[in-house]
Amino acid sequence: MFEKYRKKSPWILHYNAGSCNGCDIEILACLSPKYDLERFGVINTGNPKQSDVFLVTGPVTYRSRERLVELYNQMPNPKVVVAVGSCTCTGGVFRGMYNVDDGIDRYIPVDVYIPGCAASPELIMDGVVKGLEILETKQKAGDDK
Amino acid sequence: MEYLQILFAPIFGGLIYGVERVVRARMQNRIGPPILQPFYDMYKLFGKEPFMVNNYHIVFALMHLLTLWIAVGLIILGENFLYVIFIHLLSSIFLVLAGYSVNSTYSHIGSNRELLSIVAYEPILILVAVGFYILNSSFDIDIIRAHSSQISLLFLLFLAFLLVIPIKLKKSPFDAAEAHQEIVGGIEVEFSGVFFEIVYMAKWIEYIFIYSILLLFAGDSFLYGSLLFFGVFLIVNLVDNSTARIKIENLLQITLTLGLLLGIVNLVFIGIGV
Repeated sequence: MFEKYRKKSPWILHYNAGSCNGCDIEILACLSPKYDLERFGVINTGNPKQSDVFLVTGPVTYRSRERLVELYNQMPNPKVVVAVGSCTCTGGVFRGMYNVDDGIDRYIPVDVYIPGCAASPELIMDGVVKGLEILETKQKAGDDK
Repeated sequence: MEYLQILFAPIFGGLIYGVERVVRARMQNRIGPPILQPFYDMYKLFGKEPFMVNNYHIVFALMHLLTLWIAVGLIILGENFLYVIFIHLLSSIFLVLAGYSVNSTYSHIGSNRELLSIVAYEPILILVAVGFYILNSSFDIDIIRAHSSQISLLFLLFLAFLLVIPIKLKKSPFDAAEAHQEIVGGIEVEFSGVFFEIVYMAKWIEYIFIYSILLLFAGDSFLYGSLLFFGVFLIVNLVDNSTARIKIENLLQITLTLGLLLGIVNLVFIGIGV
C-alpha cells in the first residue's frame, strides 16, 4: 500500500566528470525557483551514501574516472544513474580525444541518457522523473530477491 | 495523555520539518515539496541497502536519539529544567562521539564544530534556566508552566535564546556544524540507509526540544504560546533564507559576547528587581 511513496524522495548526487560546466549550470537551474525540482522531493545531497540518483555530467576524463567508479560504488542500492549532456552519453565534441573516455557507460551502467549541449532544464527534469520510474522497478526487483 | 505526547513527539517534529520546508520554498517563490515529505524520506530510507561503518557509530547514534527523546519526555512531563539541559548535553556528546568513531575527515570536522557550537549555546541555555529559577524559585518545568507569561521580565534572555535556535536547528547563519555544501553534513556524512534514519529522526526531536523550551517563555497562556511559536518559526526561516553561513569562530564570538551579555544583564536586572 505504501509502494507508490517509495519514489517520492529521490536524493541527488551530482558529479562533474570533466564537464565544461554548461550542464552543471543547467542542473542547478533545475533546483532554482523557476523549475523547482524540489517539488518532487529532490534534495541535492552531495553525499553518495545518502543518494538515490547519480547525475553525471561531462565526458569522463582520465583523472576523473576512478572517482566516478568510487562514487558509484559508495551509493547504496537501489540507485539510478542519469547521464546529463551529449558528452556524458557519447563523448560529444570531445569524442576520440587523447585525454577523454567516450561517455560514462564504459565504466558504470547508465539508466537514462539525456542529450543536448547543454541539456536543457526541461530535459533534465524529464530525465530525472523517468529515472524515478526505473528506480521504482529496481526497488521492486530488489524486494523480490 | 503525556505519554502519548512523548510517543508521538518525533511525528510532530517531522510535521514541523515538513511545513518548514514548504514555508522556506514559498519564501523563495517555489512550490516546494509536499508537507509529508520527511515521512516519504523515512520510508525510502527503510528500503535502502544498509552500509555500516562500525558498531560504535550506530550505537552512539542510537544513544543520541534515545537521550534526546528522554530530554523531550522530561520537558513534557514537567521535570527539572536543569536535568533536561544536561541530558540534552549528554545526547549532543553522544552525537559528537559518533562523529569521532569513524575514520572520515568530514565527520571529524563536523564533530569539532559540533563541540564548539555546544560551547557556544550551552551557557545561554543555563542562563535561561537560572532566569526562570530567579522568577519562580524553582527549576521545575511544571511550576514554570503554571505561572503566567514572564517574557516581559526575561526579554533579553529571550533574545539570547533566539541565537540558540538556529544553532540547534542547523540554520543559516549558524549552521557551520552541519554546513551541507562545505563539509557534506559533518557528522551525518557516514550514515546511510536505515542508520541515517536514526540521525534524521533525532533532528525532528530536536525541533520539539527547542520549540518546547521556547514555549516556556509563554507560561500558561495558549495564545502567547502559539503567537510566539509562529512568530519565531517565521523569523528563524526568514533569517535562514536571507543570510549566508558564518565561520564557527564568529559564531562563538557572537554567542559568547552578545548572547552572554544579554543574558547576564537580564539576570542582574531581575536580581535587583526581586
